[in-house]
Formats: sequence, C-alpha cells, structure tokens
Amino acid sequence: MTDTHDELLDDVALYALGTLAAADAQRVRDHLQTCDTCRAEYEALVPVVAALGTSQEASADASSGSVVASPLIKARIMREVRKKKHVSSNGHRRHLVWPAYAVAAACFALATASVLYNIALNDRLHQAEIRLAHQSVVNERDDSMLSDLANVKAQRVSVPGGEVVRSNGHLYLAMHDMPAAPDGKVYQAWTLPKGAKKMVPSATFVPDNRGVALVPVSNDAVNTVAVAVSIEPPGGSKQPTSAPVFVAHLE
Amino acid sequence: MDLDAEHLMMRVRARDANALETLYDAHHRLVYGVAMRMLGEVSAAEDVTQGVFLKVWSSPELFRGGNFPAWIVRMTRNRCLDALRSRNAHPQTELPETLPEDTAIEDVAFANLDARAVRSALQALPAEQREPIELGFFGGITHEEIARKSNVPLGTIKTRIRMGLKKLRTALEGAVSA
Ligand SMILES: [Zn+2]
Repeated sequence: MTDTHDELLDDVALYALGTLAAADAQRVRDHLQTCDTCRAEYEALVPVVAALGTSQEASADASSGSVVASPLIKARIMREVRKKKHVSSNGHRRHLVWPAYAVAAACFALATASVLYNIALNDRLHQAEIRLAHQSVVNERDDSMLSDLANVKAQRVSVPGGEVVRSNGHLYLAMHDMPAAPDGKVYQAWTLPKGAKKMVPSATFVPDNRGVALVPVSNDAVNTVAVAVSIEPPGGSKQPTSAPVFVAHLE
Repeated sequence: MDLDAEHLMMRVRARDANALETLYDAHHRLVYGVAMRMLGEVSAAEDVTQGVFLKVWSSPELFRGGNFPAWIVRMTRNRCLDALRSRNAHPQTELPETLPEDTAIEDVAFANLDARAVRSALQALPAEQREPIELGFFGGITHEEIARKSNVPLGTIKTRIRMGLKKLRTALEGAVSA
C-alpha cells in the first residue's frame, strides 16, 4: 500500500459505512489497531452510519402510508423463543423438565446440614424427573450452570429458603424452599453492581410446587455487590415495586 | 448510555422472554424498516426481522453494551447482505463485507433520534454526497460499484462519502441539541 494518510481516512469512512470488500476491510481493520487518528475517525462515524438505519424506521401506524411490520412476525418470534425455553406440561404454567441426575447434581450443591432436608432430598432423587417451574433456565445452559452450582470453590450466601451462589464469574439463586409467589405475581431478582446506586433488574421466576428454583441472575458476579428478590407483576419491573423479600450482600 | 436496552439485554441473558418481547416492541420497526429498504420485499424483510431477534435471543453475549440501535442495525444489515448475496445473479460482483457484531459501539449520541430527524439531516446533504452514502448503506454494493454506476472516479466517490458522513454527523449533533 502506498496510500497517503488522507486516502486511508477515506477508506476508514468506507469501512464505517460498510462498503469495503473483504480484503480492503481487513487492511483497514489492521490499520485501525495501530493508528489513533483513524480510530477516532472511525468511532466518530460509526454512530452516524447507525443513524442512517433510523431514517428507515418503519411507522407504527398504517395510516401514515409508510411500511408497517406485520404483527405476525412478533407472534412467530415469541412462539419460537418460548418453545425453545420450556417443555410445556399443562399449557398454562410452563415447566422445564430436568432429568433426575441433573437435579441430583444441583441439589448436592445446596449444602445444608439439615437431616430432614437430606431425607427429603433422597426422596426426590427417586423420582424420575423433577419439574422446575421458574422461567430462567434453558436447556443448553444446564450443564455449565450445574457445574457452577456444584463447584466446591463457589461462594455461598444463605438467604431465606435458599442461597445465592457465586461461581466462575456467574451468580445464581439456588432456592430449595421458597413459598409460592402471590396469585398473579412473580418473583424478580435484582443485582447491585459495584458503585451503582440503584438495583438492576434481572430474571423473573416462580419456584416449582416444592419451592425449588435455580435462577441465573448475572454473568458479572465479580462486579456485583448485592442480590435482592422482590415480588413483581408478570414480566417484571424496571424498578422494584415492593419491599424486597431478601437482600444478600456479597463481599 | 441506553440503560433500558442494557437492562433488558441483561434479562435476555438470564433467559427472560418478556425482556426480549419488550426489546422487540421498541426496536422492530427499525429492523423491519432497514430490511424493507434493503430487500424491497415483505417476506424477505420479515425473515430478516425474525432472524435478527432470534439471534438476539440465542446470542445475547454478542451485545457488548453501548449503542443498542446501532448494534441491531448492524445485525440487520449483515443479514440483508447475506440475503442479497444468496440472490445475487452476478456472482462476479463482489458484495461488501459484513461488519463485526461482537464489538461495542460506544457512542450513543444519536441512539434516540427519530426517523424524521435523521431524514431531514440526510436531506440537508448535497445529493452528490447523500446518494452514494445511501446506495452504499442500503444498496449492499461496494463503493467501486457505486463509482461505476454513477460514472464518477473512485477517489471522488470515496471523498464524497467521507465528507458526507462528517457533515451528517454535524447535522445530527445539531438535531440532538435542538
Ligand atoms: Zn491512520
């Protein structure tokens, strides 16, 4: 390449716009690694290019004469998402079915000295399957979640009805004795990031009929200083609308 | 910071389908509008819209924070380029490369501008700058192709695109502070 730097800056603009063919794009990417001037130019232009997209934003109402997205798209997406996430058992409350070995591993991690609890646990392991009724677990994540929960190095903080588990950078609620949420309500987890003044919303969930729920609440455990749970309307809230059921401080 | 989108994406990472639904409600018009402009066909635009939101659901970790609309527009454009590539009747015409989806776009300056504000900023550009920018972004063709189609030397097209984007940035900054 014998470009003068001005020509490189032109190419940076083309790269931001996304009109470079693969070989040219790679050359610009390499250059951006080493040149602050071009990097600053690139970072200034990327949001401009993104705003170009906004110019085409479809209208919310058909009367305006512009394109309107069919509501069927959303129906298809959400059906797909909810189908993947749950194995439905009764059509209304959706359940995720876990094989007994998986529950064994998970329950093993709930270190508790209670003899009564252990008897109950053994009883459970004889069952072919246990249904977890919370909304926050998905099949492909089961394995890593279970190994996180079973990790002997995991940090555990007791809370009423269960514990908060911090393991491999992830944060979970492992509840084994949680009362059902009031009718028409769900539980919602909240996290407090380091330095933040307000709680950040995390997953909503409901425990199964035994009071069991395993809920991933954050993938940034290192920077989370507290976890709380409150009772919220279905779908959750942006800010807690009720006093917390509990707050666990992690240090 | 687009805190709403960041919070919602955190909930998506925690497998909260309702959070995805909220994101869809807020941003599907952007995704669909870009796809319609690029592909010009309802069923293709619907497929892209569905593909984008299912990708948000299946790979939420690709979003590294920052400008959520910018990220989702990039995902949309990349999928439209793929669709154009697969329908490309002239494979010797090279299409532009798709852009990375796993890098944060930090600057959120224009994330909340509406379509009308952006359109009027675009209209304020001279046509010789606006047209190659729109053709490059929505047409899914390289600047070489643009130069060829418009019979303008390559170097001139490049400079017009860059100058136009810089001018557009200034206009958008004006729209934000207005
Ligand atoms: Zn440079």
